[in-house]
Parts: sequence; C-alpha cells; structure tokens
Amino acid sequence: MRKSLESLAQLPLGTIAAQWRPAPAIAENLRAYASASGDSNPLHLDLEFARQAGFDDLVVHGMFGMAQLGRLLFENFEPACLRAFSVRFEGVVTAGTPLNHCARVAAIDGDTVRLELLSETGDGRRVISGEATLART
Amino acid sequence: MSIDPSFIGFKLPRFDVRVDDAELARFRAATGAAMDQASGDCLPPTYLKVIEGTGGSSRTIVEALGIDLRRMLHAGQEFEYLRPIKAGDTVTVEREVTAIEPKKGGALELVVIASTFRDTAGRELARSRQSLLVRNPVPR
Repeated sequence: MRKSLESLAQLPLGTIAAQWRPAPAIAENLRAYASASGDSNPLHLDLEFARQAGFDDLVVHGMFGMAQLGRLLFENFEPACLRAFSVRFEGVVTAGTPLNHCARVAAIDGDTVRLELLSETGDGRRVISGEATLART
Repeated sequence: MSIDPSFIGFKLPRFDVRVDDAELARFRAATGAAMDQASGDCLPPTYLKVIEGTGGSSRTIVEALGIDLRRMLHAGQEFEYLRPIKAGDTVTVEREVTAIEPKKGGALELVVIASTFRDTAGRELARSRQSLLVRNPVPR
C-alpha cells in the first residue's frame, strides 16, 4: 500500500517511511542486471578480473543498489511524485552481501517532502546514502 | 597516469533512444520488480541510466578518456525528473564530461558526466549526473 504525499507530509521528521531487505545479489543477478542495463564492466561479471582489482568477490553494480532504492520509492510512494533522486556510493558491495535499504523523512516544505536514503550491509556498514524529493504532480 | 583535463567539455554526438517495452520488461525483471505493474506509465527511476548508456555510450566516454576499468568506481549518481517519459517515447540524449578534478592530493581523479534527455520537440524531460572516481597509480 502506497503512502500518499499528504500522509507522508504529516510524519515527524526522522520517521522511517519505508524499509526493505531484499535477498542478497548473487552472480546470476549481476549477469541479468548487466545484460538488461548494458553495464558489462567485468568487475561485476568476471571473478578473476574483480580479484585483480583487489576485491574478494564480484562487485555488485552500484546502480543495482540504486535500482533497489528506486523500487523502494516506487512501491511505497506515488511514482509520479518523484522529482529528484540522488545517491553517493560510499562502499563497495560484493556478491552475496545482505543489504538493508531505508528511507526517512528528512524535510517537509508544504507539499514537498525530502527523504533521506540509506543502504547498509547486514553488519551495519553504510554503502549508499542519498536523497529523494517528492512533490505534488 | 592521470586524466587529461582538456577532456572537460568532451561531448558525444547526441543520439535518439526509443524506450522499448521489451527492454524495459527485462530491466524490471533484472531488478526484481514484481510489483511494478502498479507504477503505471512511470519508468523505473534509474532507467535513465540505461537510456543514456544505449549503444555503449558510457564505454565510449570511458575509453576516450583512457580510464582503466579496474581503477574506476561509480561514486555518485543524480537524477532530476522534469517531465514524464513513457515506454514508446523517443528521447534525445546528450552527454558531456563536465568535470575532471584531482582529489586526495592526486591519488584519485573525479570525473563527472552530465546527460540531458529531451523529447522530439526539444523540451527537457530529465537530467542525469554521474560521478566516477578513478584511482591513480601510486607513484614510486
């Protein structure tokens, strides 16, 4: 059930407005994402290449994590209200790492709501931070 | 080797992308979007990245700048949504390298690539801004 912009604008600042723990991305998901997105950087697909670059396992596309945050937004709020969506990729996520995606109410200005976005690994390491702006259509 | 700052202002020739239903369905499936039917006409919010990367355009820019993929990480991504884009629409994309800056005393190089998305009438639909960080080899 989606929250309307009006109900979102009633929430106290800092409230968790949406949260999601998807199944961790594995090699198969990265291949599917690479093929569907056109991002076939071998860091995401070729274990040997990823190891040469200094990682223990395949690197999950940053955009895969951002796409999951995008799903969190679209499934919990009115898609047509999304005005801006930005992230900083703060840590590398390797295949099999569980993530927790979360959106908190950061600011309300009339009909415009700004959400603070955060993705953390299961052990609390921050890997994505960002924000989304929602406004009346 | 650091990236030549004369690439600031480097543009790809603008190109048209038709937002294809089947490609969109593949993207939705790959990002596990079981509930997305309810999103109506709205494209998944990060699908702009796929549109701007059509035809290997991201790879073309990275290669033009001589960036080694093993040393490059996607550091940030911003989208602005100005007008709706739907499946079946044709979108004109223009991409430009807008910044190349040394960071951390030259250990890293920040590269920013900005894209604009326009409809066939030339109205701006959306904007995207990608930040890449490239690790420079440690000098001996």
